[in-house]
Amino acid sequence: MDHRTESRIADVILYGSVAAMLVFFYIPILTLVAFSFTDSRFLSFPIEDFSLRWYGALFENRDFLPALGNSALVAAVSTLLSTILGTAAALAWMRFRFRFQRVFQAVTFAPLLFPQLLLGVVMLLWFSVLGNWLDFSPGLVTVILGHGVYIIPFTLVIVAVQIHGFDDTLEDAARDAGATRWQVFREITLPLLWPGIVSAAVFAFLLSWGNFYISYSLSGTARTLPTFVFSGIAVGSSPIYPALATLTFVPALLLVVAADGFRRHAAKRNRMVLHTEEN
Amino acid sequence: MKRLRKSWRDPALILAVAPAGLLMTAFFVVPLVMTALLSFQGTKYYRLVWTWNLDVWSDVFSQAHYWTIMGRTVWMSGLCVALCVILGLPIAYAMATRLKSLENHITILIVFAFLTDAVLKTFGWVLFLDRTGVFNGMLTLVGFPPGATDLLFGPGATMIGMVYNLLPYTIFTIYLSMVRIDRDLILAAYDAGASKTRTFFEVTLPLARPGIYAGAILVFVLSLGVFLEPKVMGGGTSPMAAELIRQSFETRVNWPLGAALTLVVIGIGMVSLGLAALVVRNRLQGQDLQGQGGQV
Repeated sequence: MDHRTESRIADVILYGSVAAMLVFFYIPILTLVAFSFTDSRFLSFPIEDFSLRWYGALFENRDFLPALGNSALVAAVSTLLSTILGTAAALAWMRFRFRFQRVFQAVTFAPLLFPQLLLGVVMLLWFSVLGNWLDFSPGLVTVILGHGVYIIPFTLVIVAVQIHGFDDTLEDAARDAGATRWQVFREITLPLLWPGIVSAAVFAFLLSWGNFYISYSLSGTARTLPTFVFSGIAVGSSPIYPALATLTFVPALLLVVAADGFRRHAAKRNRMVLHTEEN
Repeated sequence: MKRLRKSWRDPALILAVAPAGLLMTAFFVVPLVMTALLSFQGTKYYRLVWTWNLDVWSDVFSQAHYWTIMGRTVWMSGLCVALCVILGLPIAYAMATRLKSLENHITILIVFAFLTDAVLKTFGWVLFLDRTGVFNGMLTLVGFPPGATDLLFGPGATMIGMVYNLLPYTIFTIYLSMVRIDRDLILAAYDAGASKTRTFFEVTLPLARPGIYAGAILVFVLSLGVFLEPKVMGGGTSPMAAELIRQSFETRVNWPLGAALTLVVIGIGMVSLGLAALVVRNRLQGQDLQGQGGQV
């Protein structure tokens, strides 16, 4: 086989596999979007007539609104919690050396190696025992704590990657110029890590927003959007769910696009700062 | 970058370590210990009683039914790992070598799909694979009889769902180890007259091993606990370990049993992690020796 045909075959396989993967990843998402516009009661293909009927039905019965509110609240608080704690932990991982560092690393990373359902179950057992002692029942607070445990390893890794490419001579320069520790952190360290922190926050928000397993275990009687949809489709696939699904995709998509725009902007700004300082 | 040696008396260290450390201890480590303790208790009339005996464990080890399901779970997870690695390799390689300009966009597309609500994605698959769903509808359009495939509610559909949810892990770990490969090594192989295929299998693939191993381990341990796919897509006909655990908590309200089964799954995961670590260490040491031999 000569080199021309060999690289042509390789190109077909490689480009083909990426294209096939993208189709594969978007099959269920696009299926839901398509079915959200059906006019029929039955979710079967081909779709005969298109209409906004099920969006109308969705806004008429509004059963999903409490779940939507809970999801938004849980996602907002968990994002804040896991981004701040993950960033602090990443700094300790990457920049400090201290006694029991290994233990700290193991404990903060291990949840990533746990299937979510098991994490949820294990925490549910603990919260139930605690609840018996202290007289509370699982609810949104336990969901938020559970999301924190699940998401912190992700935010930690994302921020740690940003720290890995970090240039610490700028910090030395600021210290030499007489800045205090807090000033160095606020004026130099944080701005340089900002792109990683924002990516981590976006990841955290979406992981919490779309989380099923942990919310399912820990939410008690409260419902978030994923558990609301799960209890709905478990009894039979009502045609309002594709419409609800499509509506939840929109904020997630906007967030991802906005975050990418921000990341590029910040990367450019950091390059410019470094460039002007070199001159 | 230098690492600063910090004493535990330094407030900066406490500030960085304490919040995450305490949260993980209180809501991850302690619950694990609690789960272990609970597996030695009993239940009476759907209530937990603190008995301290091995009844639950002897029940777990004497019931063949549990081990059939555990065996199926390990087999499905192994198959899922194999598929995720085989499918992830060409994709990661293409992203690392061919699609530099589009790489960012592709990453965002993968991340968005990965982070979308798993319940909704699973439901989307149901609508796609259903007898009257999109896939069969498309097959009818090109001339197949209606309802040509009947994938939904079987182990095949479960596997599609598992690969769907876990493939991003192998793509990213393999990709990360492939972009780190020194381009000169590949060019050297070409100079020495190796074909592209041969270079891929003899240079790129061995150097990408850390990413392959990491991805495989992640996919394996995570697939031990899948619940939505066998339940919603597999139709509950061939339950996996997570379903067993859910039943013992919710249907049978037997917490000690649920705790013991949870520990069995965690145990399977840890044993395979340990074995994988051993194999990887041996392999990588072998590689180092070979590399040194080459230099001498």
